[in-house]
Amino acid sequence: MAFLLKRRTVVPGFGLSLGLTVLYTCLVVLIPLAGLFVKSWALPWAEIGEILSAPRVVASFKLTFLTSLIAASLNLVFGLLVAWVLVRYRFPGKSLLDALVDLPFALPTAVAGITLTTLYARNGWIGQYLEPYGIKAAYSQLGIVIALTFIGLPFVVRTVQPVLEDLDPESEDAAYSLGAGRLQVFTKVVLPLLWPALLTGFALSFARALGEYGSVVFIAGNMPMKTEVVSLLIVTRLEEYDYAGATTIAAAMLLMSFVVLLIVNLLQWWSRRWQAA
Amino acid sequence: MSIAVNGIVKCFGAFTALDRIDLEVKTGELVALLGPSGSGKTTLLRIIAGLEFADAGRVLFDGVDTTSRPVRDRNIGFVFQHYALFKHMTVFENVAFGLRVRPRKTRPTKSEIRDRVERLLALVQLEALRNRYPSQLSGGQRQRIALARALAVEPKVLLLDEPFGALDAKVRAELRAWLRRLHDEIHVTSVFVTHDQEEALEVADRVVVMNQGKIEQVGSPEEVYHRPASPFVYDFLGHVNIFHGRIEDGKVQIDASTEGSPSDKTEANASPRRIYVRPHLLDIDHVPGGNGTFRAKVRDIRAAGPVVRVELVSDWNQVVTVEISHERHLALSLKEGADVFIRPREGKVFHEDYAI
Repeated sequence: MAFLLKRRTVVPGFGLSLGLTVLYTCLVVLIPLAGLFVKSWALPWAEIGEILSAPRVVASFKLTFLTSLIAASLNLVFGLLVAWVLVRYRFPGKSLLDALVDLPFALPTAVAGITLTTLYARNGWIGQYLEPYGIKAAYSQLGIVIALTFIGLPFVVRTVQPVLEDLDPESEDAAYSLGAGRLQVFTKVVLPLLWPALLTGFALSFARALGEYGSVVFIAGNMPMKTEVVSLLIVTRLEEYDYAGATTIAAAMLLMSFVVLLIVNLLQWWSRRWQAA
Repeated sequence: MSIAVNGIVKCFGAFTALDRIDLEVKTGELVALLGPSGSGKTTLLRIIAGLEFADAGRVLFDGVDTTSRPVRDRNIGFVFQHYALFKHMTVFENVAFGLRVRPRKTRPTKSEIRDRVERLLALVQLEALRNRYPSQLSGGQRQRIALARALAVEPKVLLLDEPFGALDAKVRAELRAWLRRLHDEIHVTSVFVTHDQEEALEVADRVVVMNQGKIEQVGSPEEVYHRPASPFVYDFLGHVNIFHGRIEDGKVQIDASTEGSPSDKTEANASPRRIYVRPHLLDIDHVPGGNGTFRAKVRDIRAAGPVVRVELVSDWNQVVTVEISHERHLALSLKEGADVFIRPREGKVFHEDYAI
């Protein structure tokens, strides 16, 4: 560290900017999270185990991770498609589509939740066509996936888009000249270069989905054991003045999310090993 | 494999990149497409490769029409200016790529692929780097890998787009000589694009000089250098002084005129009776003598290099560049600001009326 501080760099203000960065992340991220752990660790281990192993809590954890995973995976595929179309093709209304991608960022999540619920409810615009096939979109786990997909899409598109724009078209030409087909060029040349960005987008979308509350509560139906996500469970506990229970679940959620994100980061590091020079 | 290009036309919007190009490349030949940027040389190369498609005209390989055949079926090797290596693959995987993407029926076995890649890495003298990633290589090493990768598929035609353009001068000269030796070894029909006349003259069997979407001249390096077919070729293949004048009885007469400095190339095409003289075909002396002698003042002397380059200003304010030997420079003991006489060496000038 001392070595790092002493090294002369062209960019001034290293000490100041690092200090501010540390202070800022402490205030905004680290201290609130530490408070969370302090609060939950006040409980004896046995009680923590009891809270976390309650069937209702386990069910909501399973549901949250599963639906978030499905939503993030869907966004991985379709986010790539959207980014591809936006970068590679020219068509009328392109800039409009480009702007639309950001909408889930800007829209209040409650509004998104209500809108989606209205659309997918039994008598909604889309829901009425699903009903005859026995597909229940709103007030089901499918509804949760729909909401989480909606809010997570921009992450994948916005992380992949710039990388795709910077991709050297000559390496694709080179692959074609060496006899590769379209599919081979995509899977062997384009996709490997996109993996780091795709994984970042996936991780962001997944993380966002894990913590999503606003849009999910409207469309989920919130039935304990069936469609109750963790964030809702925490709020429910708080409303029952069960602060210890709420913080314990929250801390467990935090740890699990952290582990998942760590794994994704490791994958990402592996996928860009060729960049280390 | 021989290449024939018949009446190729290519437009980008209102800009005509190629205007009815006809060209033949014989089997085993090494041909340079030489021209300034925007002359259409890269476009022509990409059309031969199938990376670009012409608006009109045909491309034939060994007499067979390949105009509409996609690049992957043309059996060509293409080397890009910026290498275009697959940066997420090691050197070995890069070279093996063309073999691994073959359909199962024609794909060599794993050990065959390994053998062939090792042989190619030995050919480009980079066996030791097989497990490196492109980001860990120097520019010259990257370009040699790109060449090995192109050769791995055993192409019938090798096409190189400014292969040494992104390298520094020393590495460029080395690779140039190396490419020439390589070609003498493997004899694959090769076409390379360059804007560097020295590179074209040094490496190619034949040089195709292009300008504004047209071919100005095709010939051996000696032909295009010593017998340029147009003022453009003369001007492009080295530094040149442009004078107004005439040739009488094989002797050069230079008119004292304010027009025509070595830099205004555009005018060179319009006005007749211009004389083009290379700097080394002029001589400097302290006394007048001989035909076409005129007076000038020494402005700048550059004595670093194989010859001494002297910049002078004539009475009519034209900047003239003269190259003399070091011995001559010592004998004359030139000083900046000195008044001297410039004399064209007889019979070795290019006159527009002869060519057009």
